[in-house]
Amino acid sequence: MMQFAGDHPALPSALGALGVLLVGAPLVPGVAARTRALLTGRRGPPAWQLYADLAKLLRKGAVYSTTTTWAFRLAPLAVVVTTVMACLLLPVDGRSALVSFTGDVVAFAYLLGLGRFLLVLGALDTGSSFEGMGASREVTFASLVEPGLFVVLVALGIATQRLSLTGMFGAELWREWSLVAPSVILLAASLFVLMLAECSRVPVDDPATHLELTMIHEVMVLDHSGPDFALILYANALKLGVFATLVLDLLVPRAELAAWASAATLVAGLVACGAAVGVVESTMARLRLPKVPLFIAGGTALGLFGLILLLQ
Amino acid sequence: MRLFFAGVALVLVGAVAACVMRRRAVVDAVYGVLVVAGCLVSGAAAVVALASGSSASVTVPSAVPGGDWVFALDPLAAVFVAAVSFVGAACVAFGTPYLAHERAHRPVWFAHATFAVLIAALMLVVTAQAVVPFLIAWELMAIGSYLLIVHEDEHPDVRRSGLIYIIATHTGTLALFAMFAAWGAQASDWSFAALAAAAPGLPHGGSLILALAVLGFGFKAGFVPLHFWLPPAHSAAPTHVSALMSGVVIKMGIYGILRVVSLLGGSPPLWWGWTMLAIGVVSGVLGVLWALAQHDIKRLLAYHSVENIGIIGIGIGVGALGAAYGHPGIAVLGYAGALLHTINHALFKSLLFLGAGAVYQATGTRDMEALGGLAKRLPYTWLAFFIGATAIIGVPPLNGFVSEWLVYVGLFRSAQTPDALRLAALGVPALALIGALALACFAKVSGIVFLGNARSHHAEGVHEVSRSLLAPMFALAGACVLLGVAPGPGVVAVVEVAARITRQAPAATGEAMAVVRDSAWISAVALVLMALLAGLWVVRRAALRRRVVRAVETWACGYPLGTARMQYTASSFAAPLLSTFGRMSGVVEHRAADAFHTEPVDLVLDRSAIPAWHWVRRAALRLRPIQQGRLYVYLIYVMVALVALLAYLGLEGRQ
Repeated sequence: MMQFAGDHPALPSALGALGVLLVGAPLVPGVAARTRALLTGRRGPPAWQLYADLAKLLRKGAVYSTTTTWAFRLAPLAVVVTTVMACLLLPVDGRSALVSFTGDVVAFAYLLGLGRFLLVLGALDTGSSFEGMGASREVTFASLVEPGLFVVLVALGIATQRLSLTGMFGAELWREWSLVAPSVILLAASLFVLMLAECSRVPVDDPATHLELTMIHEVMVLDHSGPDFALILYANALKLGVFATLVLDLLVPRAELAAWASAATLVAGLVACGAAVGVVESTMARLRLPKVPLFIAGGTALGLFGLILLLQ
Repeated sequence: MRLFFAGVALVLVGAVAACVMRRRAVVDAVYGVLVVAGCLVSGAAAVVALASGSSASVTVPSAVPGGDWVFALDPLAAVFVAAVSFVGAACVAFGTPYLAHERAHRPVWFAHATFAVLIAALMLVVTAQAVVPFLIAWELMAIGSYLLIVHEDEHPDVRRSGLIYIIATHTGTLALFAMFAAWGAQASDWSFAALAAAAPGLPHGGSLILALAVLGFGFKAGFVPLHFWLPPAHSAAPTHVSALMSGVVIKMGIYGILRVVSLLGGSPPLWWGWTMLAIGVVSGVLGVLWALAQHDIKRLLAYHSVENIGIIGIGIGVGALGAAYGHPGIAVLGYAGALLHTINHALFKSLLFLGAGAVYQATGTRDMEALGGLAKRLPYTWLAFFIGATAIIGVPPLNGFVSEWLVYVGLFRSAQTPDALRLAALGVPALALIGALALACFAKVSGIVFLGNARSHHAEGVHEVSRSLLAPMFALAGACVLLGVAPGPGVVAVVEVAARITRQAPAATGEAMAVVRDSAWISAVALVLMALLAGLWVVRRAALRRRVVRAVETWACGYPLGTARMQYTASSFAAPLLSTFGRMSGVVEHRAADAFHTEPVDLVLDRSAIPAWHWVRRAALRLRPIQQGRLYVYLIYVMVALVALLAYLGLEGRQ
């Protein structure tokens, strides 16, 4: 149940896949934007646009509002640190994570929660009504996503009889996969819907808009600039990558693949997930805010059906 | 045991000192030192008892009916004594300077003496091992709390809160009398040992006892719908009293339930386990939802206690169900999670209440809508409050995470069993919802009170509170960090106590030993998290040193005329969530062209209990014509009653 990096069964594969995820994550929103542009008949920015943006922002200075305190400055660091630490618990290579222990699923979800808490505090620290609005909406929708995420986790816990992400999403899952395939597919669909909400994509939020009263995540980080803003953009892309990896782990068996093949599949999966998000974004409009809880509840219901199939 | 009683005696000497010296200013120092020292001595005794796993006991022969008075410091009691003494010491250290400025116009000595007696009563409640001393200590605790709640009795709403409290607590005590009467009738005497010996003979596995225990102790713990006394009492009492009440007094309800379960052998009937799980989920979700609706910072914290009691209830439910379905490991996980969350909640909730008290002392208001921007004016209070808020939402690297992790592992393990216990899987998303709503709520209270700009003159021109108020807050905050970074000893201790409740050897419970082992990973996560944050902070500072860093106004999308009134308020921040939950969230909205405001209503007290009471009173008015106030009418009643009785006797005699 408990593993050390030292006696890890497949250290090169796990490390390599983690590196691919950490480096390749900014590609996911880029591919999504590119797909959206192609499907709507525009040229659009290249898929690697986010890398260029990050490089530019990291070289810049910073502007801090005089209203803000250390809470505002802690927020960007916290989101990036917590998201990277969540990656360490994730079986990125489809086999096993670098670190796994009893109940690390809780640590995974609650690390992301800590990042969100500090980001919301950073937004409220500016004293701006815009950022207050974003913070309020962020906690509202995140509160509804969280139960859905845990429905998926407990269902996989029942399917695999394991209590760590490595057990639920890694090699263990594929020994049982054919027996529980219908529910795992439902759970993957549920995770995809929750990903759209958690990572602020259409139809919950529109990452392409600026300065509109309908936005959520973007409006929370209006005052961050320079390297701080780069960290936030990166953390957001990485979170999308994390959820994409979770969906990939549920649908594509990679446990038996060689390290390079597993990493290549991961890249293909990230690109496919970005493309899927892009397709959703170009075929659907943003929902009205009061409709968003229904959308998230729908996603949670998919997971609940999967859970009920396993409980019967 | 001697050490423990020496501590209790020191606390009581402190109470006497407060009464004797009364108005002299030196009393504060003497009283404070005596009570804090007493708490620390008792706490040390409890820690020794926990570490050695032994249980000493003392029997005092008594001529009063009900048998000898037995006191024992067994591991279950020791967990609670440790919490009472640490939180009690912090609250005394905070309360003494906090009340100092009231000395001119109020009998402060009385509040101090009552507070010390309350602490001593709490320690006796958890160590009493016989019915009579238990109930005496229980009542001493209830009445002590009442006297402290009505400390500012010139305000009518304080008197009303006190009245609601005393009605609630005595209804609970009534249930406890019924419980002990039903149980004691089967036992040889009134000691807990005799009650435990009588447990196997109880009808239906002690169902009646357990139902009365949930009712009696549930009033104290504040399970929904028995929680209604809690928010008014906590907002009426002086802050250090609210801190002690929310931190440890309501935990006596949890202690009582665990003690009864332990005396009954740790394996209650199935229906009881499912009921506790349901009560826990309902209390957790509704408690945090109603907390979100509050704008009085102390009422908000009080509703959060309902939420955390709910989480503890989920733990107890998992423990009871695990035992009932024959999974000792799950039983230990559930009870251990409940116990650890009890300790953790005692630490961070009292910390948050003391923080709210510091805010109140600095600004003179508890209304969040009037505050804002205090992070700059009260930087240390903000730091302590921030640690408490991060701990209560249960995220790494602080202590709240450890106990929620235990409860989660218990729920996941329940879900993985092959029997009907797997339906407990539905508790997992419920606990996740509770956690996420708590995050929203503490983002609201921290953000609205401490961040942004001042919303009124109350929050302007205020100064940091004195060091004597900050020190207890940082002691509690330090404990929260310590238990989060090094949870190992705490987890080991609660697992052993939980194993004792279920009468298992800890090593025999594989699932529970797994969490003991893997708690090392929790510390690793906490340490790496803090190290990475600190490292990245340093890197960023070094990187920005050679670049242009400007300090300007908040951008606000280029709108230049922003005022503090345009900020999001406590009402507006919570509005989207509350409207998602509709009527259940218990708010009344007021909308105007230039303002949005919500008012919280307690669905149990304001919408159910008081209307029901009015209905009873109206029904009773119908009976009023019976009361004529004339002697001959009453003589006729007596006559009629006598004839009726004689007729009854005569009819019965004929059969």
